[in-house]
Amino acid sequence: MPASPVISLENVSFRYPGTAEDTLRNVTLQIAEGDFAAVVGGNGSAKTTLCKTFNGLVPHYWSGEFSGVAEVCGIDTYTSSVAQLSSQVGYVYQDFANQLVRPTVRDEIAFAPVNFGHVDHAERTREALEMLRITDLSERFVWQLSGGQAHLTALASVLALRPRVVVVDEPVAELDPARAQEIYQRLEVLNEQFGLTIVTIEHHAEFIARFAKSVVLMADGAPVWHLPVQDAVNRSHELAEHGIPAPQIVQAAHRLGLADAPRTVPEAARALRAHAPVAATASGTASGAVAGTRSGAGPRPSLEQFTRPAAEQASAPLPVVARATAVQHGYRTVHGRLHNVLDELDVDLRRGDRVALVGGNGSGKTTLLKLLAGILVPRSGDVEVSGTNTRKKSAGQLADHVAYLWQQPQQMFLKESIRSDIALFPRERGVPGWEAIVDDTLSQVRLDDFADRDGRSLSGGQQRRATLAIGLAMRPDVLLLDEPTASLDIASRDAVVRMLDQLSGTIACSVVATHDMTLVSEWANRVLVMEGGRVASDLSPHELFDQPDLLTRANLVPPQITQLGMSLGMTPPPLDVREFVDRFDGLKLQHADLHPASADLHPASSAEMRAYGTQDA
Amino acid sequence: MARKTRDVISVEWIKLELMRAAYATRGGTFSRMDPRMVLLWYAVMAIVPWFTHNLTVLAGLFLLNAVAVILARVGPLLLFLFVFGIGMEAIYILAAAWLFGGDLGTLYALSELTLKLGAISMASMAAFVSLDPEKLSDALLALRAPALLAFAVSYGYRMLPILVEEFNTVFDNYRLRSAPPRRAGFLGVNHLYRWVRMAILSFYPIFLNTALSVRTTVEALETRGLTYATVDDRGRRIRLGYLKVRPLDILVLTVSILLVVAVFVTGQLWPIFRTDLLG
Repeated sequence: MPASPVISLENVSFRYPGTAEDTLRNVTLQIAEGDFAAVVGGNGSAKTTLCKTFNGLVPHYWSGEFSGVAEVCGIDTYTSSVAQLSSQVGYVYQDFANQLVRPTVRDEIAFAPVNFGHVDHAERTREALEMLRITDLSERFVWQLSGGQAHLTALASVLALRPRVVVVDEPVAELDPARAQEIYQRLEVLNEQFGLTIVTIEHHAEFIARFAKSVVLMADGAPVWHLPVQDAVNRSHELAEHGIPAPQIVQAAHRLGLADAPRTVPEAARALRAHAPVAATASGTASGAVAGTRSGAGPRPSLEQFTRPAAEQASAPLPVVARATAVQHGYRTVHGRLHNVLDELDVDLRRGDRVALVGGNGSGKTTLLKLLAGILVPRSGDVEVSGTNTRKKSAGQLADHVAYLWQQPQQMFLKESIRSDIALFPRERGVPGWEAIVDDTLSQVRLDDFADRDGRSLSGGQQRRATLAIGLAMRPDVLLLDEPTASLDIASRDAVVRMLDQLSGTIACSVVATHDMTLVSEWANRVLVMEGGRVASDLSPHELFDQPDLLTRANLVPPQITQLGMSLGMTPPPLDVREFVDRFDGLKLQHADLHPASADLHPASSAEMRAYGTQDA
Repeated sequence: MARKTRDVISVEWIKLELMRAAYATRGGTFSRMDPRMVLLWYAVMAIVPWFTHNLTVLAGLFLLNAVAVILARVGPLLLFLFVFGIGMEAIYILAAAWLFGGDLGTLYALSELTLKLGAISMASMAAFVSLDPEKLSDALLALRAPALLAFAVSYGYRMLPILVEEFNTVFDNYRLRSAPPRRAGFLGVNHLYRWVRMAILSFYPIFLNTALSVRTTVEALETRGLTYATVDDRGRRIRLGYLKVRPLDILVLTVSILLVVAVFVTGQLWPIFRTDLLG
């Protein structure tokens, strides 16, 4: 690691005006030039305030009590200005969409260089576009961009000032995992090829382990430690205490007794292959099943065993609660063309279904949900919900049967408190005993203590739970959720998944449009893959992850543990850590350590694994 | 009545029309001109009608501006609003004149005003449909308007689609979660009341959401040199470097001024004043 620090803080403390306590307390921290540092820590640990000292927003924009010395690129931030420091430090916000202020991408990127009077602004703009390989977006309007594209645009707009340091605040928060991974890969390129120092604020240990070079753990306004990434990942218990649960592969490695925490899936696969003989013999004797498979035919659990629960399969199909028949829908673009989104789509949703609707951006997930909710009616074809054709009733009347929860929680907060928001539907419709319904729902989502707060003032996880409560109080047959786990940290995410889990009693059928494959694997019992305006596949989560080409086509990234299972040749791949650990002992991996080349991301099928076995024999 | 998806007279359509108007996607003569010249043209067309009471001249100016509207390819929504506005005003004039015991004199006086306002409205439509917000903002900057005003114009337009989208979402929320009226009432007046009420209530969440998100915007603007540019003039010169008066600008301005003069001359030759009409 290069020695010269590009950021150096000494005994820096900062107190926001009007607050009683210091937000930053005696921070001493050095970040080396060329580092890729992840700043982690629980809510309120002052991660963001720390990063805002780097570009002088603290103390110049947020004028509070500042003490200590902060030097960035050799400039003392206290005697400098935000304008001067901005050319050294670029800052990409968590809510990056709000940082875009110009109509087109090119304008947006040229904005800062033009303001600072750089004559070579066009050159800088072109350079920034090329560094992130988004030149083809340059003439787009910013309001047409997808989340990932908007993030890259925000990043390019700070790169155009040719900074030496780029701070990125929680890139994963508002992006789906595939998109977030892409952002990290670009950041990695900036770091390695262009030598930029990258600082990210991050909750997701998965990304930290894979991309960061060093980790700063913040707690109560000061760094607890700043360590190289491997040392940091090895302290997964400490990280978990500060609200950063260990990645799935680290959890699995720990349970299987690996000493060093693996940082990537291939690394985990390699380590486990090397480790396997011990694990296999240790438990192999205990479970007699393994002995029988030593002959060379690897254990292959049947796929059926992992599909729908046996009880469900045996009985007759359950009644249909919602149905779409030959649905065709599209919208007009600003240039007047009709853009088709759904094309002759047919689908039946039955009682007891927990449907995950997956597919790339623009594959029509949200449109299908809005059609099911009756917010839209199809251009042709029919949608029926609880036996009613959505053309026959207004959206307001259909809301008695179906509830749709928007992706952005704050758009659902219409009233001054979440209690009134939850009460809006049952009270206006005169549902008998609506007060009790509201109270029950509030305690069901554990928000009793926040009932009188405005939804906007809650944390991300609480906001999501509040919208869930709004949906529940509508007592629908069908609950439709658009990306319910997006932009949540892992603890809040798990809470939402648990709550969805408990719904099955009250709601006949829930449909979730999502990119979150962990949600798919942990919650869903049916997956609809949208592609080309239709339902391309209708299968169980196990079946989904057993089809790598389908995953690639639909731009889905399986959970880490599933990836690990795939690369170790488990078919069907495991869906959670426990399943992985249980099945790992039964796997026949003894020979694999002689073939480290096979330990890559491409899922080696069990057939290949068996082939290796026979060669070696 | 069965519901179906409509391409016109829907919220979606209004949103698209606003965008089309704002970003001059339909093209048109004025959109190819230097924005400063468009503003100059607009200044001429908007001021001239105030200098006369001659109905011949006003009618001529009205026609001129109608041609400008066609050349600028103004979209159906704005045209409809304009015609609707003029129509409602005509009705209102008639009603006012009748109710307050006015005679033909009042009627003529009020229609003179309508003719003036109509001409000016059309000039405004033609000019502002052709100026996308960037051009307008640059033209203002070039004419030494305060930098923050110029920025606000372009930023306001950039927020427009987002605000309409947000309005749409919040409105949908009300639509789903509030109760539809049990009886439609006379001519569906209960539905109308509900819709108006929802539209008004929808602004409350939007204000709060916008207030929250703007905090980031303001901070980001600081880091990207917006205030720096108000002190340092180099940015302004770079931004305005592309503005150039071309033959088309001169042509359009000259022709317009000549036509205005011609209209005034015609007005001198065959003047009609409202006193004449009362004869």
